[in-house]
Amino acid sequence: MKQVLFQKLLTFSAAAILLSACGGGGNGDNGGKGSVEDELASEIPFNLQNAQKLLKTNADIAYATYSDSVDTAVDLKNAITAFEGDRSQDNLDAAKRAWLIAREPYGQTEVYRFRLSPIDSTDYQSEDGPEGEINAWPLGEALIDYVSRGSDFGDGEVSVSSHSTGLNYPTENIINSSITIDDALLSTSASANDEHDVIAGYHAIEFMLWGQDLNLDSSADTENSREMSTSGNVLNSGGHRPLADFTADNPLAQRRFDYLNVVVNKLISDLRAVREGWSEGAAYRTAFTRINNEAEAKQKLSEILTGMGTLSEGELAGERMQIAFSSNSQEDEHSCFSDNTHRDIWLNAEGVSNSYYGDYAGYDNTLNGTDNEITRAVKGYGFDDYLADSGEVELAQAIEAALDKTEEGYREIDASARVHGVPVDRLIMDENRNAANPMYKTIIALNEQSALIADLAEGLKIEKDVVEEEASGCDTSVPTESC
Amino acid sequence: MCLMLVGCGYSTVPDIDSAERYPAGDGSVDFKPLARFDRPLANMPLEEKSAFYAGRALAVQPWVKAPTATDARDGLGPLYNARACLACHVNGGKGSVPITEGQPVSTAIVRLSIPGKNLQQGVLVEPVYGDQLQTQSVSLAHQLRHLPSASNLTDEPTAEAVVYLKWSAQSFTYPDRQQITLRKPVLDIRSLGYGSLHSQTLSSLRLAPAIHGAGLLEAINQADIDALADADDANKDGISGRVNRVWDAATKTSRAGRFGHKATRPDLAMTVAAAFANDIGISNPLFPQQPCTSAQIVCTQLPDGNNSEGFELPQALLDLVVNFNRNLAVPKRRQASAPLTLKGRALFYQSGCVTCHQPRFVTAEKAALPHLSKQTIWPYSDLLLHDMGPGLADDRPDFAASGSEWRTPPLWGLGLSQAVNGSGQLLHDGRAQTVEEAIIWHGGEASKAQQAFAALSRIERSQLIKFVESL
Repeated sequence: MKQVLFQKLLTFSAAAILLSACGGGGNGDNGGKGSVEDELASEIPFNLQNAQKLLKTNADIAYATYSDSVDTAVDLKNAITAFEGDRSQDNLDAAKRAWLIAREPYGQTEVYRFRLSPIDSTDYQSEDGPEGEINAWPLGEALIDYVSRGSDFGDGEVSVSSHSTGLNYPTENIINSSITIDDALLSTSASANDEHDVIAGYHAIEFMLWGQDLNLDSSADTENSREMSTSGNVLNSGGHRPLADFTADNPLAQRRFDYLNVVVNKLISDLRAVREGWSEGAAYRTAFTRINNEAEAKQKLSEILTGMGTLSEGELAGERMQIAFSSNSQEDEHSCFSDNTHRDIWLNAEGVSNSYYGDYAGYDNTLNGTDNEITRAVKGYGFDDYLADSGEVELAQAIEAALDKTEEGYREIDASARVHGVPVDRLIMDENRNAANPMYKTIIALNEQSALIADLAEGLKIEKDVVEEEASGCDTSVPTESC
Repeated sequence: MCLMLVGCGYSTVPDIDSAERYPAGDGSVDFKPLARFDRPLANMPLEEKSAFYAGRALAVQPWVKAPTATDARDGLGPLYNARACLACHVNGGKGSVPITEGQPVSTAIVRLSIPGKNLQQGVLVEPVYGDQLQTQSVSLAHQLRHLPSASNLTDEPTAEAVVYLKWSAQSFTYPDRQQITLRKPVLDIRSLGYGSLHSQTLSSLRLAPAIHGAGLLEAINQADIDALADADDANKDGISGRVNRVWDAATKTSRAGRFGHKATRPDLAMTVAAAFANDIGISNPLFPQQPCTSAQIVCTQLPDGNNSEGFELPQALLDLVVNFNRNLAVPKRRQASAPLTLKGRALFYQSGCVTCHQPRFVTAEKAALPHLSKQTIWPYSDLLLHDMGPGLADDRPDFAASGSEWRTPPLWGLGLSQAVNGSGQLLHDGRAQTVEEAIIWHGGEASKAQQAFAALSRIERSQLIKFVESL
């Protein structure tokens, strides 16, 4: 019986015609051809040893950048402690600087997202990593400390109904309440299935140090005086939380420090956990770098390229830059309290280029735009080396040109904030939003770069279908079957 | 047409078409290294990528309590189920329900209504709680509810309830005497925040559905779906197939329903806008209200995140999210030509599954969306309502759908479901843990096909399942 059916299956072609009539009609037929079958980019020769070197470098850079992230987070904690001990404007500024410096290595780690590495997964499988606790955005600031509502919001004005006066809202928040502020505040509310607002991570600390950046008018004098001056005082931009929020005569000052301490401690411990996943001998690193055959190697290479491609086109170009352009909302930017988004863009893009070249130059610990802290710098084996060793000069040149173009774009965004006093929150309010806007240019460049990363993945035949994996007709799970 | 359907269903099996490997036609994507249902169609033009990801940003990044400086992202709730679309549509896949009793439901929802009809809402909503139980609130007390010290806070507005499940087990015996255990969730609604539910309340537990391929489903000509309908079973094959008639707030007319567990939404704009309003509490041009009934006074008094257009999600941003949904790909099939898969394919046709799980459509031609036009797609759904029998019934009618009717869910990508969302649960309330359980739950109009499956040998059943998992 089965044989007969099988024959039928091979020979009954008339039924297919009937089926198409039943299946909703239409006579267009792409026959599975077109783009899905055109994946004939020239195949890059595979080399297991070179793949091995590339994976090792990729892991080395991860360990270095996460280690630098831990260290700078500890420096941030120390700065907060010093500020708590001596509540001066200088020490508040020092804490802000420490936060800005802490972002420098962390921004370069984000290329390790989107591939179930320790930032996203504790077991290389579940999506249970601490990324959301470390860097989630936007922040639920109304739950944390006082926020402004009213005319400062301009177009985004919050409407408050007239009969809400009897409510203890939104004056009741974590700072202004009787909530016990200790480690449990974050550990009990922060779980994946608990749909709570973001109250932890870098941006929570940013909000506590800077406060809301309430300017709306991109041309207003008040904003200009606040924004970075040409003298490069990075602390003049963004929100202006008054020192008085922290001084002893403020009844909530201590609660702000308690909260800062809880958040920075959790940040450090989350970052440490991620770093440990990348350390020699750790389960993740071992699983990632140990490859026995071509298929395993290609799976790992494709994970790296997935991170690079997703960060380039999805997260950075789309979810951080394009949406900011689209939403017509000034503070729709990643570091909206500190106006440090120009660095987020630079550092994320730099992370992609680090992965391509297999290099990590260190990070900027003086906030002058150059990587001065180079203790953990890595010069290793990257895709550029892999392509060179495979004789793939053309593709390498194309990718490198695209990375250069992206760099040109993010340098322009950085200069706009740093030199010209026009940070990202003003670039995105640009009425014209045309090709002259460095945000626009960088988005285009990132998309082009990502298309070439996809070509690279294709050339490595990473995405090869595994349709014919099963060689025999036997189902080994049903040993009684005849086949 | 339907006579032809009888002719081509059941015993005959069409030749294998190499296009079957590409469920989304030219838009099919690879499933390596990580299977996801939130990737863009492979043939989406490069210049549309930024807009796609901008839309994704609004679907994945959390909405926050108003007011905030990030005023394009605030306005969560005040009552809500999730802070972001993809919190429940995990990686574009389904949500899940907890198997462990005592763990609250978080990525599924409970719909509520009372007997009666309403042209625009489809149901008469529960008078105090509305048409959906919102289990979360922006109140600080709720957000920090696991802290003992939060009990002193003003819990306003209080969340509507906490939903738990109890599982009732039953066994099914195949003609060959093999037995399997089936389980069915029973709602256990606790901590109702606004008093008892109406005495005649109808409820329905719903998993967040997977969203991949949504734009291709939208691109199918309604005439092609209508042609498959057989409301009164004129051809006497035991299978009706009905088109729901539902409200479109954009045109203010009744239209054919296509999306949702009971096909209660006509297109992606209504689907996305309704989900924003009900699940996240984000007002928008199609659903401008906050998720508060008039009985929930505090909820109505809180600050909202409306912008100058009067919405938390203005038209331009809603369009971006709709566009994101419209461009979602479907992964290529796995092991489509493996011999066992092919045996299962033949059995799938012969058992009559294809009568409702229609394999193939060709999408309409739309000048504005060339990459979605004239694509041969393989969703394995007729997008029609079918009476699935008392076992699956929720006894909660919605628009024209009866309490036992459900829309045929597409099967494409089904084999990757577990890899995508980590759960692999199937059917509207997640009761089935495997494809086999899901098939056995089929009743009503699907009884004949279910019986045909049950009558197969154990090996043949595993082959049919293998085929379904290859989709």
